[in-house]
Amino acid sequence: MAASISGYTFSSVCYHSANTNSDHEGFLLGEVRQEETLSISDSHIGSSEFVSVIEVHNHEPCAQLFSFYDYAGNVNEENLNRILKDRRKNVIGWYRFRRNTQQQMSFREQVIHKQLTNILGIPDLVFLLFSFISTANSSTHALEYVLFRPNRNYNQRISLSIPNLGNTSQQEYKVSSVPNTSKNYAGVIKEHGNEFFDKDGVMKDIRAIFQVYSALQERVQAVCCEVDQSERVREKIQEEVNKLKEEIALRKRNRAEEERRLQEAAAVPLPDNSALPDSSQSSPTQVVLSGPSVEPSVERPVNSSSPPIYSTTLPPDSPSAILLPRPQAVGSPGHPSPSLGLGNGDGSSSDSLNRQATGQEDGDDEDSSEYENLVSEQLQPPSLTETVTLGRPATLWPDGDAHSPPGS
Amino acid sequence: MNSLSPEVALSRISPELRPLLCSVVCNGRVGLDSSSCLRITDLKSGCTSLMPGPCCDRFKLHIPYAGETLKWDIIFNAKDPELPPDFIFGEDADFLPEPSELPHLVSWDTGKPECLLQLVKELLQQYHQYQCQRLRDSSRLLFEYGSLLEDPNYGRSMEIYAGRKNSWTGEFSARFLLKLPVDFSNIPVYLLKDTALDPGEDVALLSVSFEDDEATQVFPKLYLSPSIEHALGGSSALHIPAFPSGGCLIDYVPQVCQLLTNKVQYVIQGYHKRREYIAAFLSHFGMGVVEYDAVGFTKLTLLLMWKDFCFLVHVDLPLYFPRDQPTLTFQSIYHFTSSGQLYSQVQKSYPYSPRWDGNEMAKRAKAYFKSFIPQFQEGAFATGKL
Repeated sequence: MAASISGYTFSSVCYHSANTNSDHEGFLLGEVRQEETLSISDSHIGSSEFVSVIEVHNHEPCAQLFSFYDYAGNVNEENLNRILKDRRKNVIGWYRFRRNTQQQMSFREQVIHKQLTNILGIPDLVFLLFSFISTANSSTHALEYVLFRPNRNYNQRISLSIPNLGNTSQQEYKVSSVPNTSKNYAGVIKEHGNEFFDKDGVMKDIRAIFQVYSALQERVQAVCCEVDQSERVREKIQEEVNKLKEEIALRKRNRAEEERRLQEAAAVPLPDNSALPDSSQSSPTQVVLSGPSVEPSVERPVNSSSPPIYSTTLPPDSPSAILLPRPQAVGSPGHPSPSLGLGNGDGSSSDSLNRQATGQEDGDDEDSSEYENLVSEQLQPPSLTETVTLGRPATLWPDGDAHSPPGS
Repeated sequence: MNSLSPEVALSRISPELRPLLCSVVCNGRVGLDSSSCLRITDLKSGCTSLMPGPCCDRFKLHIPYAGETLKWDIIFNAKDPELPPDFIFGEDADFLPEPSELPHLVSWDTGKPECLLQLVKELLQQYHQYQCQRLRDSSRLLFEYGSLLEDPNYGRSMEIYAGRKNSWTGEFSARFLLKLPVDFSNIPVYLLKDTALDPGEDVALLSVSFEDDEATQVFPKLYLSPSIEHALGGSSALHIPAFPSGGCLIDYVPQVCQLLTNKVQYVIQGYHKRREYIAAFLSHFGMGVVEYDAVGFTKLTLLLMWKDFCFLVHVDLPLYFPRDQPTLTFQSIYHFTSSGQLYSQVQKSYPYSPRWDGNEMAKRAKAYFKSFIPQFQEGAFATGKL
């Protein structure tokens, strides 16, 4: 159980008490609410804790001692009602102020408390004890207060907090849930409230903000739906593209197979260097191949200028000009061995295949590499000198013709 | 904390409350141990510091009970002196007396000075009941209490303090304080005449502390009023037996009581025997008696003559006469020692029997004098100087 008392109530009680020349007592008004705290930690999935919180909103001082009980501590209910009037239902406890005494409930206080518990019908009636201790020379005075829960075992003591009694610059300023019972305040709010509150008592600004918030939420929801739809379309298109790529790759493989057969059958010697196609006709890095035709990817850029014609026949080769090995991982099926004399024609060897097509997507690379691997496998066994470097696959124009990528 | 003297306490208390406090500090004796008055400490005020004094209206009252000292806070209000006080029972937070059984609280009358003292006594009665109920935690100690309660000699004059259970060992302890029904009225007045030592009632209290509820560690102690203790020969003259292992109070307490009673009887008998002894010597030696203790009959001085040799005989009778033999001191009236004192010889061993009556003792003493004097005279002449 926890308890809190508003600063103004606490100071009011202290003021009343300190200004009396004897012990002082009265009743505490407020409410008891239940708080549930859910906590999630690494060790627990989640745990909830119920705490009863006593909130003291106000107090009702007694004019004098023994105002509602007699010498034996018997409570007079009639006098009690006269003191509390219509606030009896708000009573949550009572308090006592005594100077220079121990912080312990006295004999009479315990007797009275038991009776108040029964008469008021509050099982957890609390008792707040104020003790004012002064030193012998009156130089130091201390106000101590303890909140008791006498109906529990061992006169349980509850910690009493005063919200915002501290350095609020370093801790959060807490807004109390104490209702404002001031009549003046209620009157002013009633008079000027229409400018700020709507008919339900809610501040207008809050409602407007809430409307904005709701609109934003709706918009976000709509955008989510749009994104979801577009993502689905994209996914579908991606599937189609993948299918087409597979088809292209299959066709390429078939064509390559076919050309290989033709080649074997014809056994046509490879052309010399002078018979190499003009660079103006094709990409310097590419060699027109005979045999497997290259099925370019549909993602090829369409703005290539005068793409070279894709030839199905192998041009007369110059080993050094033609044999441009593709960069492949060591151990890959189509990896050309540098000792086989492959080179660029000037004695240097190139183990990289220029890939300078713009706008080419990664999928193309994969497709190209599959194609390249396949082609290099086919080319290697017959003759090392006949190894043909694979150029970039020609772009398949929308009209169906194959063109090699420009400027490559 | 230093207790306040009655005068200081009364000077600081609020004037309206002074009569009540006077009754407590001056005449307040409660419980079995009524040898000293109730003490007051921590006199404080419930008024603001601006209130001019004296305005103290709350204090701590120290009450002897069962060998302990209860410290109860008593809270008045100087502004409303007609109102009854409130109490805080110190460490006994569980003690909650029944208000309806406190007549002096229900009908509090600040006009009656003894009202507060009577209220404290009523509270103590309920406190005693509260402590007795706490004995229920131990069947052994409850049996001890019950057996004593049944005995009218002890049941009505008993205080019990049930100690806190030891939270570590779970042990329960208790102390029984009993007023022993010993009659001290026949003790010679001269032994009790020093009222400065004992202004109160003559009482003997037996305190028995049980350090565990199985009665394996039991520590008895006898407390006597100062005059009784003096009359019986001081604390060293009294040794009570240890609590027997496996024994119980209903057997032990009467045993101690009998021991004390016997001691008292010895003292009383001794007085009467001494008086008889002196009377007999007066009768036998007549004009030879120089002086004697006519109050306690503890001393007698004789001036005797044997063959023109005069000598003094000082007779000192002990407290436990006739059990203990009187001491005879022979003193020459002629001879001095080197230190300037009269030559004397002390005789503690001479024919004596405690069963003789006074007359017989006087006769035997006379015979002894006759037999010893020649030897004494010889010694005086040989050693002493004229």
